[in-house]
Amino acid sequence: MPEQLLQQIVNGLMIGFMYSLVAIGLTLIWGVMNIVNFAHGDFLMIGMFTSFWLFTIFGLDPLFSIPICFLLLFILGIAIYRFIVSKVMKGPMLAQLVVTFGISIFLSNLAVYFWTPDFRLISTTFLQGTWDVGGINISVPKAIASIGSVITSICLFLFMKKTKTGKAILATEMNRESALLMGINTERINSLSFGIGAALVGVAGAFLSTYYYIYPQVGGLFGTIAFAVVALGGFGSIEGAFIAGILVGLAQTLGGFYFDPSYKYAIVFMIYLITIWIRPQGLLGW
Amino acid sequence: MKKFTTKQISVTGITLLVLLLFPLVITQTYIIHVMILVFMFGMLGVAWNIMGGYAGMFSFGQAAFFGIGAYTSSFLVVTFHVNPWIGLIAGGVVAAVMAAAIGYPCSNLRGHYFAIATIAFGEIVRIFFNNWKLVNAAEGITLPMVNESFTNFMFHSSKLPYYYIILSFLLIALVICYFVAHSKMGYYFRAIKESHDVARALGVNVVWYRLIAIMISAFLSAMAGTFYAQYILYIDPESVMLLAISIQLVLISMLGGAGTVMGPVIGAAILIPIAEFTRIWLGHKGTGVDMLIYGFLITLISVYQPQGIWGLFANIGKKKNG
Amino acid sequence: MGKNLWWRMGLCLFLLFTFSFSAQAQQKIIKIGAVYPLTGNIASTGLDCKRGVDLAVDIINGKYDLDLPLAKSEGLPNLGGAKLQIVYADTKGDPKNGMSEAERLIAQEEVVAMIGAYQSSVTKTASQATERLKIPYVCSDSSSPTLTERGYKYFFRVSPHDAIFAHDQLVFLKDLEKSKGKKVQTVALLYENTEFGSNAGKYLKKYAEEFGYKVVADVSYSANATDVTSEVGTLIKSKPDVLMHASYITDAILFTKTFKEMGFAPKGILTMAGYIEPGYLPAVKADGNNIIIRSTFALDLAKKKPLVAKVNELFKKKYGIDMSENAARSFMAPFVLADAINRAKTTESEAVIKALLETDIAGKQVIYPWKGIKFDPQSHQNVYAQGTLVQIQNQDYVTIWPFASAAKDVVWPFPSWKGRK
Repeated sequence: MPEQLLQQIVNGLMIGFMYSLVAIGLTLIWGVMNIVNFAHGDFLMIGMFTSFWLFTIFGLDPLFSIPICFLLLFILGIAIYRFIVSKVMKGPMLAQLVVTFGISIFLSNLAVYFWTPDFRLISTTFLQGTWDVGGINISVPKAIASIGSVITSICLFLFMKKTKTGKAILATEMNRESALLMGINTERINSLSFGIGAALVGVAGAFLSTYYYIYPQVGGLFGTIAFAVVALGGFGSIEGAFIAGILVGLAQTLGGFYFDPSYKYAIVFMIYLITIWIRPQGLLGW
Repeated sequence: MKKFTTKQISVTGITLLVLLLFPLVITQTYIIHVMILVFMFGMLGVAWNIMGGYAGMFSFGQAAFFGIGAYTSSFLVVTFHVNPWIGLIAGGVVAAVMAAAIGYPCSNLRGHYFAIATIAFGEIVRIFFNNWKLVNAAEGITLPMVNESFTNFMFHSSKLPYYYIILSFLLIALVICYFVAHSKMGYYFRAIKESHDVARALGVNVVWYRLIAIMISAFLSAMAGTFYAQYILYIDPESVMLLAISIQLVLISMLGGAGTVMGPVIGAAILIPIAEFTRIWLGHKGTGVDMLIYGFLITLISVYQPQGIWGLFANIGKKKNG
Repeated sequence: MGKNLWWRMGLCLFLLFTFSFSAQAQQKIIKIGAVYPLTGNIASTGLDCKRGVDLAVDIINGKYDLDLPLAKSEGLPNLGGAKLQIVYADTKGDPKNGMSEAERLIAQEEVVAMIGAYQSSVTKTASQATERLKIPYVCSDSSSPTLTERGYKYFFRVSPHDAIFAHDQLVFLKDLEKSKGKKVQTVALLYENTEFGSNAGKYLKKYAEEFGYKVVADVSYSANATDVTSEVGTLIKSKPDVLMHASYITDAILFTKTFKEMGFAPKGILTMAGYIEPGYLPAVKADGNNIIIRSTFALDLAKKKPLVAKVNELFKKKYGIDMSENAARSFMAPFVLADAINRAKTTESEAVIKALLETDIAGKQVIYPWKGIKFDPQSHQNVYAQGTLVQIQNQDYVTIWPFASAAKDVVWPFPSWKGRK
């Protein structure tokens, strides 16, 4: 019994780290611009397809395609911000909500158009198999992805705290007006954060593609859960999103295991609702 | 309450007359079906608008109320042979009670937090119905075909009765929305939308008025749900409680013009035919082009017409006057 | 006289022209409506079904030396060589669209019959519309038992339904015990929780108990999942002899990977639907080996049925891939309809229904291992429809049951994951 419990905890942690990685990009965009990016799941999908095609055409292992995914999504993010999102920043909040829906529908169907709705899987990376650690099975690609998630989150954290640009982003997040007065080019910060947010989820896509199937609608569920994770952690809080991701992963697997698997996502959303009733600003939000 | 101008009355009258005569002139069933969908989604949009557009609570879980309405009346019809018209009211009441139960604890939530909470609520309801054996879980409910009549709320030989029923539902919703918008309640709603603190300072009972908005909205959505069930005759959680439906309602209201009485109807009248006809023309090729166009249009409108299409009409009117 | 000759020649030419025109007019088109999910989540399956239907129409309209109904003649001989034309409509998998598209195809495109839908929930509303409008509907790709329990007059189903499939799987287990001496006592049920899966789960449970097996786990889950480790954990905990799984394709892929990852290897894994979709094997490759799937079709049937090889050859020529189970199932509906319309000599609904009820297609004229096609007068379900079981061996689907028509011996028990690549 403790072995089974331990196994579920390990599994929960691994999916939780993936949620964290998907969510930190979202929370960054959210915090800086106060925009809910509903196309976030589709950025994830594009990251996965990028890694898939690099693997299929050039035989590049997903691990090596991470920088390419990062860069590509960074450019895509900035382009989408510059040409579309920035134009609604001053508009009503509802237009800001809806514009990313439009982008989301557009991107996922662009993928259908170019790559058909078929399912794909990268199956022969060198990250295959499972480790048997004292009777507990640990999937190698998931473990690597978890480590990747931790490293990426730490990098982002350090970037925000140690670099000048990072500090500027943080300042904008806290108070846009004073940041502007301090001489920070908030428009540049916006586009940079949108780019970084997209790039981070591109990295998540590359990791996820090592063990999850890839198809145009793959972003939907990850995206929805990422919203709950971000809101649970507190909008704009990177640490919050990281912790909330892990909590959601654990809740999902343990809830599914001990209660009923068909309710596992309901359990996740329940926990989220209860938390924000008690603490409307989320776990680490302000 | 302000007086109507002659112009307003005549435009409304003519529009109504056209809509009443429309199915007698254009008899193609498919066009009638699209019109029925326009009215139904228009009604849902109006319902969304009361809480979203006026009171500033952006709901992404409206499909839950729609589904609860559909499920309540269908369950009553199938299990207890209750007349669907009674089921219609029952569904509305159940949805409104549910809305109050969920709305009360969410009283402090604003903006994005509220939006995400409604997504969570909608998903919980869907998952719950998907596993609830009493209402046939995922298998859904098939409504038995009975003799067609107004009392049975079922018509087989023609779509006309459905057309007129949903048109009158839409009108009811519009009248309610109009009175809400132009009454004291409407001003309270808008005050709440601006700022909870300001509303409180003005002596508005924020929690209470938020609840009223949610409950009216839920009741109307549930009515549309019962209509859907009686029209399609088959419901399952995947077809009435999907997040995609909730999102579509937000799109309709926003693109038409949130916070205006007619906005959501305009939104539905534009978006639904686009979705339907692009699917017919392009969907059968299976390339996703229809949705590509749909997504592109949504992006375009929200960038260049962020106040919604209704704003365009209003602007033209203003320019003429000015 | 000369004038008279010219006049006669002119008349002849005129008559020739009118005849040729009327002959052309007689060679009419028979339109049949088909609804499939061609975009959205399940589009890859819908497109697969469409391939099967398109090939069937090619064969009916052209001249082919195949032992299929109407293959040897061009078009429908009793209707002056009339050709079939399929008018497709996209449902996006939404029941609402199933209804409206059926209505539109009948009213606008004037189709005389309907086929398709794939998803049972969509077939439900689409066939409600055809029932109301009194248009025949021949379905060969939806497997919910409820469809033929409604007593509809205009609805016919060629393919077996999930209750038959579920029953077959348990008969297989009994057969295995009887003729191969393998021991099975406990089963675990795993099914996705939409209409299809929960129905299949219901029947699997019913028959498992009737056949005297102990159901040690009954797990339903959402097919759209990010992770299924807790489901597999529950299965491992219950230690079943056999796992019975009803899934779509996404969850089939995810579960296969998770079974391997967590080392879940019961004596046998018996599955439905998802594992036989064309996208499954290319995605999981060797990890799919030894899984057993219910099926109506497998390419190795060609050994006993040369027809299968010929049809697959045409399929491959047209699309560059082998015929999948979905394509093969959808393939038969146009033949059944064309055959009935041809015998009815008209496209008028009541006559076609009468002809459908008299349908008697021989076993050698179908591409499945059945005795033929004949509809039950009450339920309109094909009485000869039955499932077979295939097993993935060396990344290929091979028929292993009924043992009489098996192409290869079943691999039992399921080998453990350790030591497999």
